[in-house]
Amino acid sequence: MNIVAIETASPACAVGVRTTAGVEVTRVVNDGRRHTEALAGAMKTLLDEVELRPRDVNRVVVDRGPGLFTGLRVGIATAIAFSQALGCELVGVTSLEMLAGGAFDSGVRGTLVACVDARRGEIFVQSFLLDDAVNALDSARVTTAREIVTTWQANATSAAFTGDGVERYRNEFEYLPLATIIGQVVPSVHAELSLGAVRSPDEVVSPLYLREADAVANFTTRERPR
Amino acid sequence: MMGLVLGIETSCDETAASVVGEDFHVLSSVIESSIDQHRAFGGVVPELAGRAHVATIGPVVRRALLDAGLDPLNPAILGIAVTSGPGLIGSLLVGLSAAKAYALAWGVPFVGVNHLEGHLFAPLLERSELEWPLMTLLVSGGHSLIVLQSGPGEHKVLGETIDDAAGEAFDKVARWLGLGYPGGPEIDHLAQSGAARSLKLPLSMTGDDYDLSFSGLKTAVVRATEKQRDLPIADVAASFQAAVTEQLLRKLRRALEYHRVKGLALAGGVAANSALRAGVTELAQEFGVEAHLPAMAMCTDNAAMIAAAGTYRLRHDGPSSFDLSAAPNWQLADVS
Repeated sequence: MNIVAIETASPACAVGVRTTAGVEVTRVVNDGRRHTEALAGAMKTLLDEVELRPRDVNRVVVDRGPGLFTGLRVGIATAIAFSQALGCELVGVTSLEMLAGGAFDSGVRGTLVACVDARRGEIFVQSFLLDDAVNALDSARVTTAREIVTTWQANATSAAFTGDGVERYRNEFEYLPLATIIGQVVPSVHAELSLGAVRSPDEVVSPLYLREADAVANFTTRERPR
Repeated sequence: MMGLVLGIETSCDETAASVVGEDFHVLSSVIESSIDQHRAFGGVVPELAGRAHVATIGPVVRRALLDAGLDPLNPAILGIAVTSGPGLIGSLLVGLSAAKAYALAWGVPFVGVNHLEGHLFAPLLERSELEWPLMTLLVSGGHSLIVLQSGPGEHKVLGETIDDAAGEAFDKVARWLGLGYPGGPEIDHLAQSGAARSLKLPLSMTGDDYDLSFSGLKTAVVRATEKQRDLPIADVAASFQAAVTEQLLRKLRRALEYHRVKGLALAGGVAANSALRAGVTELAQEFGVEAHLPAMAMCTDNAAMIAAAGTYRLRHDGPSSFDLSAAPNWQLADVS
């Protein structure tokens, strides 16, 4: 199966291609949130490198978040259009799964907490157990670095932390005595290709925002009975 | 020889796709609007519009291809035209990203189109043979311009609003009066039963240029209705609509006095306003030029006009490259 993977949930834009023959190429374009400008050209470059035509692609995998809202829309709109145009399969994976998969691939085992910078002082977070596979321990949610650190201090167990959410609030995470910080800013496209290869295709892929639009949130607050 | 062009438009709250062929013949035009999600807020909420585009872009494009009798996996098209500005950045990016992906998948060129230039091509969709030059009044919720067109794709902006767009003023006054969103149709409807001279509103923009302004009119309505709370709402609507129309027609008249043209065209969402349509028809008669009033479906944002403008731009400027950015503030005067 020839697979194309798209990652635009973080400020970088990353693309990967894995061919039926097992050849894999990945590329990270770190150009400050210029996803729209970078993505289609990077896809073309990588397909050319492995000598695939777009028509040879069997499956498109896309990071559906959580992450940068605009970036997600660029990646998902691209994935929807590209897969629809070719009549090929579409699979959505989450940025938190990709971070967990990336940590797993680099040999991390035990409890892993994947953290994506949610801006506004918040973090998108999900915990995983990495043993002989990657297993989710809870659901993705939005919280603060302080809340994560407090929870793990209370747990008093060792855990690894990864993602740009950790990098952003590194000073808080470094206080955790039993924590290991795994440097990983861009969710792993290699892990995305692996996850996407074994999933059943999705009929529809939608962004995982985990947060209402501001206007809706403000409106709800304003309308709430006193 | 012109081939078929797929147009994609996502600059505001409408997700639209269309296939346009020889002589700007419209083979399909699909429009999905997220306006129902914005009503409660009295205006388009950019984040909600962006979210809606992601959900609708795929089905809308597929529908447009099928309606045009094309194979959605292998459409026989010459290229893709997509609005790349001006508009809401989060909305523009969805259409632009999708257009690039379709172009890459099918191996066809794509071109970024200026949304306002798209509006200028709308009359060609209804009649491919137009007599030039043309004076066009482009009035919508986001823009208000008077444009002199010497031919397709050749235009000069004579004047534009210095503050609110005409449609924006309609929305704001409607909201002040407690009417629904969008405000244009609500005010137009109410104005039918109101007396246009009952509220004295100032003449605005009386200078010797073609620029427009509607912010002061909106404020004048608010002040006047605060002073006189018993004014019938229909009279307020009629007076406001008459004042907006008066300003637009006065500037258009001046433009026609100084520039010899063959036709007078209306474009944009406010082109659906009945008083403005009547006024433009009269003005065209007075100057002995042809009036081009778009069908209601061509007034509002659609992708057929983008496909038409894109057909021209592909032929004259060639395709865009994959690194094309969205340009939320792209001025019509800067279109080369």
